[in-house]
Amino acid sequence: MAEVRYEAASRIYPGTEIPAVNALDLDIADGELLVLVGPSGSGKSTALRMLAGLETVNKGSIFINDVDVTLKPPQDRDIAMVFQNYALYPSMTVAENMGFALKQAGVSKEQRRAQVVEAARILDLEPYLDRKPKNLSGGQRQRVAMGRAIVRSPQVFLMDEPLSNLDAKLRVQTRTELADLQARLGVTMVYVTHDQVEAMTMGHRVAVLKDGLLQQVDTPRELYRRPANLFVAGFIGSPAMNLITVPVVDGAAQLGGLSVPLPDDVRAEVARRGLDEIIFGARPEHLALADVGASGEVAVVEELGSEAYIHVRVVHGQETEDVVVRVGGETAVKRGDQVSFGIAGATHFFDPGGDRLDGE
Amino acid sequence: MSSAITEHRDETEHADHADEVRRLERREGWNRRLPILPALIFTIVVTQIPFLFTLFYSLTDWRIDTPEPREFIGFENYGALPDDKFFRDAAWVSVQMTVLAVLLSLIVGTALAILLDRKFFGQGFVRTLLITPFLVMPVVAGFLWKSQMFSATFGVLNWVLELFGFESIEFATKYPLASVVVVLVWQWSPFMMLIVLAGLQGQDTSVLEAARVDGATTVGIFRQITFPQLRPYLELGTLLGAIYLIQVYDHIDVITGGSPDSKNLPFYIAQRSIGGGNRFGLASSYSIVVVIASIIIANIGLRVLSGLLEDDS
Amino acid sequence: MALFTRAPKAEPILGQNRVIAHVLALLTWLIGLLFFFPLFWLVLNGFKDELDANSSPKLFFDPTLDRFSEVTEDTTGLLSFTEAFGNSFWIVLISTILVMALAIPAAYALAIRPMRKWRDVLFFFISTKFLPIVGAIMPLWIIARDLDLLNTRAVLIILYTAMNLPLAVWMLRSFFAEVPNELIEAAQIDGCSLMGQIRQVILPIVAPGLAATALLCVIFAWNEYFLAVQLNPVEGSTMPVWVASQESGRGNFLAKLSAASVLATLPVVIAGWVAQKRMIRGLAMGAIK
Ligand SMILES: Nc1ncnc2c1ncn2[C@@H]1O[C@H](COP(=O)(O)OP(=O)(O)OP(=O)(O)O)[C@@H](O)[C@H]1O
Ligand SMILES: [Mg+2]
Repeated sequence: MAEVRYEAASRIYPGTEIPAVNALDLDIADGELLVLVGPSGSGKSTALRMLAGLETVNKGSIFINDVDVTLKPPQDRDIAMVFQNYALYPSMTVAENMGFALKQAGVSKEQRRAQVVEAARILDLEPYLDRKPKNLSGGQRQRVAMGRAIVRSPQVFLMDEPLSNLDAKLRVQTRTELADLQARLGVTMVYVTHDQVEAMTMGHRVAVLKDGLLQQVDTPRELYRRPANLFVAGFIGSPAMNLITVPVVDGAAQLGGLSVPLPDDVRAEVARRGLDEIIFGARPEHLALADVGASGEVAVVEELGSEAYIHVRVVHGQETEDVVVRVGGETAVKRGDQVSFGIAGATHFFDPGGDRLDGE
Repeated sequence: MSSAITEHRDETEHADHADEVRRLERREGWNRRLPILPALIFTIVVTQIPFLFTLFYSLTDWRIDTPEPREFIGFENYGALPDDKFFRDAAWVSVQMTVLAVLLSLIVGTALAILLDRKFFGQGFVRTLLITPFLVMPVVAGFLWKSQMFSATFGVLNWVLELFGFESIEFATKYPLASVVVVLVWQWSPFMMLIVLAGLQGQDTSVLEAARVDGATTVGIFRQITFPQLRPYLELGTLLGAIYLIQVYDHIDVITGGSPDSKNLPFYIAQRSIGGGNRFGLASSYSIVVVIASIIIANIGLRVLSGLLEDDS
Repeated sequence: MALFTRAPKAEPILGQNRVIAHVLALLTWLIGLLFFFPLFWLVLNGFKDELDANSSPKLFFDPTLDRFSEVTEDTTGLLSFTEAFGNSFWIVLISTILVMALAIPAAYALAIRPMRKWRDVLFFFISTKFLPIVGAIMPLWIIARDLDLLNTRAVLIILYTAMNLPLAVWMLRSFFAEVPNELIEAAQIDGCSLMGQIRQVILPIVAPGLAATALLCVIFAWNEYFLAVQLNPVEGSTMPVWVASQESGRGNFLAKLSAASVLATLPVVIAGWVAQKRMIRGLAMGAIK
């Protein structure tokens, strides 16, 4: 078991100027499941591959258990990796695939067999041990890839979007199994996904990346409650947070007919910096229909059964903005109706540069 | 100001690995090049360096059979080329032979591939029959056609002609160029067929089905879907065919023995130099012309190829 | 039984009509037989005696194996059948091994760990194929003569290796490019050395491609005549030279020559038959992708 530490680690691909991963600082505790999340091209895979030893770390260092592994080749790092396309050796059977790393390490045949069978038992793969990968279903292949990692009992598990090739239902099921497995084995795991739902449901902590820069790393709950900047606020949560540029008048943000008083620390900060415009954020579930407040015409009603999302077209200065409001249960509101809404929960305020105003 | 300071700190704090990383990357760079080197060096030594010698010889009046020292005569050999009737004839034969053989093989090969690309009784067997000529040694192919097909006395072709009441003809003597081309096409059509067949089998069938659903006609499907998909394969066939067919020697040697109407440049060059002509200087200048012509063709060809290689970068 | 069944995959280009299908099948058979006929005739002539062979074409005769034993046992010429066969065998075998030994690492490097200018290198290899061998034959002859390599197996081994290398590098690169990068990285993480990765992970995947490539090299090397006759005209030479030598000045030995031709052609033809499917696949993969 192991802890992992990135220290200002950067990767600059040859022939490019901008680092794909830029001075990444990250501490991962022993037994933790850390999820790396971010949009496509944000450097998640690169960060993971740097830890695996598949990409050169151009600047900074990476430690596993306080041992500097920056210059070590993959085979000397005692890590296991599950790839997006599983990377099963097509010419080997499931058992051979799972035992391959042990064979390289010179483990005896009986010992190997025992460990493979044990891992296969955990993953329900026993009936398939003598099959070739091409004769397995997608879900089974995914489990073989897992098994190949488990068999070695490595210090760290690395997973690069291991569920993205499964269908939606299987993905949800496997996601739970995977988190459960990680907890049972108590192994440190770094998990890459671009799906924020997957990140929030699985991760002990979630690290959000954008353009190679770490935006925030925190527990799912804290990410949801206190997104550090505009990007995280928009990225985490589904449906996304409403983010609207609003004028500040007399210490209150003005949205349509609604005047939202700023909390004291935000107000102080706004006053100190002399801002007359800020970005106001509120999640759909933290807004509610009300008799007074901001008002507008209903543009769309998304009925999900247990809840509904109402898109209200608010006239706001010169422009119109769509604000999404959640209502529980069935709703009588229809497209074209005139409605008002008010604040019913947490609000967030960001400066025009995107940083949180009530920050540390 | 503050950013400059942090940047500076970064550099000093984490510079410990930087040199090592750079060294490793350099070594990795070499690790990538190293495996290519043996093949590259071998190819350069065996094909490129002799070519430089040829270039040098072509500027001399060297005859290997006389004791005279070879003398540097500049471009005199080249200057004489336009008036050299034998050279002009051989060059013209080269052009005709290559173009005819490549085009006809491509057409016949494509037709064969289309015929073969459907399930029928004995499909595999017929494909085997059709592939065989490509596997046959050119010398044997030449001999076989000359003495057993074309021959006026024992040839099957003439036997058939006589059956229909025609005069028998000594094809290889009367139509030397055509005779050689026939044998080349007989051998290279199967090769083209293999390439086109590979293209047909690699077709994206869902596109075909979609087109069929959309009501496209058979001809329309071929023109608009199959042909564009086959194009890179046809281009490849043309390129490979041209590379080999421009250098034909064996067939000519066996079928016509290099009679004037069927003597291409490679044959003529060999004849004028190591084949007994001993005019190394002059023959070298011929060689250089062939090489330059090939380079021009190759450039066009490689441009096509770079199109082939484009999408996997 | 219907002559045609529906193609399971792509629809045939020429449509589905049953009558047309039968006609096309028949046509394909006819063309196939026509293409093969000259070879059939060659084999037939090999089993004739000279009298039957040297007369107007005859389909029925008393078959005899005498010509085959004559050509294989004849030792009067400069180059006997056994010598030529032995020379060809070793020259083709060694040059093909050399080609593969040089081309596999190069193709591996070009496909799996491409450096930035890999395309230029690949083009260089292909472009050497465009250099007609006549562009180098005179210096090669002189160098071979000065090194006392004329009439040796060595000179042909070297030249056949150079002749086939570009094509081999080119085809193999595409086969290696089919190997997913992830697989190699997985092997690295599993603790596999470079040689281990190649032997245990990559080679099993590219094996069919290697076979197709090697076969093509064998065909071209076995059948090569120009270099053999220019550089090795006598004892050290190969099957094509032997066949040609059977012809010169022996106009009336058609049957014997046919038998010789059959023997010279057979090994490569059989190899080609066995591997034809792979070759089609290999060309498709190797050439386009
Ligand atoms: N081998 C490479 N050479 C040059 N640039 C690269 C290379 N691999 C990745 N990049 C660039 O680095 C950046 C980060 O890529 P990375 O693969 O880490 O993204 P990612 O977050 O995993 O995205 P995705 O969700 O699409 O997998 C991208 O801009 C990408 O274009
Ligand atoms: Mg990725």
